[in-house]
Amino acid sequence: MAEFNVATRVQGGVKIIDLKGYLDAHTAPDLEKTFNRLIEEKNYKVIVNFEELKYISSAGLGVFMAYIETMRENSGDIKFAKMKDDIYNIFDLLGFPVLYEFFKEEKDALEKFNLKL
Amino acid sequence: MYSLLKNISHKKRIDLFIVLFSILIFFKLILPASESYIYYFFNEILVLTVFGLGLIISKTYLSDKKNQPLHLVLNSGVIVAGIFLFNSLSLNLLDNVKNDLNKIPLYESFSSVIIVIVNLIGALIFSAALIYLFGIFHQLFLLRQKKDLSFYFNSMSIFFALSFVTQFLEKKNEELEFIPITFFAMSVILIIINSFRVAWIAFISKRQKLYVLLISTILIVLFAINLGMAEDDGFTKNFLVNFSPGLHFFLTILLLYGLIYYSVLFITTLFHLPTAEAIDKKVEEVSSLIDLSKLMTRVLDIKDLSDSITNYILKVINSDAAWFVEVKKEKIEIHSTANIEKNLAEEITKNCLNNNLLDKEKVSVLNKTQLVVDPAINNMVDYYTIISAPIIRHEINNGFIIAIRIKTFQFDDDEIKSFQAFAQYAAIAFENAKLIEESIEKERLESELKVARDIQYKILPREIPQYSHLELSAVFIPAFEVGGDYYDFFPLDTCKLGFVIADVSGKGISAAFIMAEVKGIFESLSKSIQQPRNLLISANSILKNSLEKKNFVTAIYGIFDCKNSRLTISRAGHVPMYLCRNKIVNKFIPNGIGLGIEKTNIFESNIKEIDIDLIYGDVITLFTDGISEAKNKDLEEFGYARLEKLICENSDLTVDALSKKIMEEVTVFSENYQQHDDITLILFKWKNNLTAEVK
Repeated sequence: MAEFNVATRVQGGVKIIDLKGYLDAHTAPDLEKTFNRLIEEKNYKVIVNFEELKYISSAGLGVFMAYIETMRENSGDIKFAKMKDDIYNIFDLLGFPVLYEFFKEEKDALEKFNLKL
Repeated sequence: MYSLLKNISHKKRIDLFIVLFSILIFFKLILPASESYIYYFFNEILVLTVFGLGLIISKTYLSDKKNQPLHLVLNSGVIVAGIFLFNSLSLNLLDNVKNDLNKIPLYESFSSVIIVIVNLIGALIFSAALIYLFGIFHQLFLLRQKKDLSFYFNSMSIFFALSFVTQFLEKKNEELEFIPITFFAMSVILIIINSFRVAWIAFISKRQKLYVLLISTILIVLFAINLGMAEDDGFTKNFLVNFSPGLHFFLTILLLYGLIYYSVLFITTLFHLPTAEAIDKKVEEVSSLIDLSKLMTRVLDIKDLSDSITNYILKVINSDAAWFVEVKKEKIEIHSTANIEKNLAEEITKNCLNNNLLDKEKVSVLNKTQLVVDPAINNMVDYYTIISAPIIRHEINNGFIIAIRIKTFQFDDDEIKSFQAFAQYAAIAFENAKLIEESIEKERLESELKVARDIQYKILPREIPQYSHLELSAVFIPAFEVGGDYYDFFPLDTCKLGFVIADVSGKGISAAFIMAEVKGIFESLSKSIQQPRNLLISANSILKNSLEKKNFVTAIYGIFDCKNSRLTISRAGHVPMYLCRNKIVNKFIPNGIGLGIEKTNIFESNIKEIDIDLIYGDVITLFTDGISEAKNKDLEEFGYARLEKLICENSDLTVDALSKKIMEEVTVFSENYQQHDDITLILFKWKNNLTAEVK
């Protein structure tokens, strides 16, 4: 089975999720758990770091869709950072760039969060 | 002679017995008594042979009671009590009757006939009782024998027989008296040796031992009194000696046997009493283990099994509470508890685990002082010792059986060993139950997948429409877990063909259900909306309300129009569409967000519709990400570039041949890697020459 790992850290009041490996129908529940915990802890500002993500399936994409509303309703957001081209293409095909914010670097995303404040 | 008799069949034995018995009766009726040597000798041999046969026959009936020592003891008690009753009655009532058959004239008066018959019947009843008693002693001797000791019993029987036949000498000839006396002495010695075979006493429960103690006391007294009475020159002795002096000897020797045997039994039982409880416990342990091994094959439900395990543990090691805990990666699951609250058991387990107090390979015993447990827990349960045994499955520790004892004494070595053995049994049983649960779960998943696949096949079109101006090919290869690919064709009028290719997010049965919904939506919308863009906007507005947040559908909807030789498409998040013209591939990715993703009107403002004017020989390729994301063993993706190149190079082929070619390439590419997603490939080739010329 393909490996997948999800870790969280905090930077400047924003939670950063680091994804690693293969995010598909089998590993998506792990990421869901992470989001559930963030919401429980009332962390609504989230940056997802895709630097080490190798693959994302439709079920993986679905996870972000499932939580984006809750984040935005609580004046937070999910922003994507450090995405490689092949992964970005998948998001792009689906039309995500119209709905989500993508950043080259984490700090750009952080700045964007701070600007809003 | 005995061995000869042993080899003939039971039925023949009975026949022989009846014959000999009849001869004996006949003989006794004709010659009730005589003083001659020959008479005595013949008489004794005949009686002994009948006795021997009787013994062998009675053995078959007695062996049914082989493993019921108490039953045997009681039966011997009944017989000895009967003898006692007869003796005491005859002592009072019949002692005055002259009963020496040698001294009264026989067959001369009616009373003498009565006396002969009474003598005979009495002797026969006594004989039967004695044979039965002897049989009982033999069975008691055989109980719980671990090696063959029949030599001692057989030699004793032989000396009995020898004493039996020589007994008359004592009466007849005082000089030869030493012969029966010697044999008698040998018999007594062997009786003493044989009486020590009372091993069975060790294996009965404490209650039964107390019972044996009481019974044997009574029996000792009864046997002793009877022995005394038998030696008195009373009525009983007389009629026995009349029948055969050996019979009287037989009575004496059996009473002596009983006296010695029950005395030994009494003393042995007395000595066994202190260990009786320990033996009882051991027996319970063993039977618990047997019960568990039975459970292993019967109980397949984990809950039931766990309950049994904890309940048996209470018995096996005499503990006050027990629980069974499964340890998974980071959490623990208490499967069952006995005599303790679940959360309390969990607290104690967690504490032990956090402090590394439980050995993962063998039994560990902890004292209260060793445990660093919250004072709160300490107050809640007043335990003294904790014992734990690991449950090992595939050489990995899977959990523990834990028991606690409140009493202030330690678990001893025996208990620890049984606990370990029990845990090993439990581990196997648990493993079995787990495997079965897993295989049931697997079966359930498989049948669920089968349902999903069936739904998918029913949803996909069975026939592909045929057109003279349009070559058409559709290939679908399902993944093991249904991937949710969907395609369909909608002939709108004679010249217009609508088509859709879609991919539902997720897998399995949920994807199959969404697919069914999507099919319904496209089928109905295709009839009323002729613009792909508007159709997808409507589809999105339906799906965004019905789909779960995390689900979405990507799709391309298009319409071929032969009148204008035009293809109009709109895309909603789907992978690109290719058009190959003159060996050059064009990729079409008009704007459009996946269906069910966007719930505001951004979808509507974002989505585009494009028109493509077709010329003869144009090859249009639609597919799902099952092709582009097909992986090889190095996890490299098939990708768009390979697909584009393939289409280009083979665009001259018919669509069926091209489709075959592409599928072959994909299959070869991902040969060593399992197909993870459905694969759909739809190819069109525009053959509308006329229209093209008009244009």
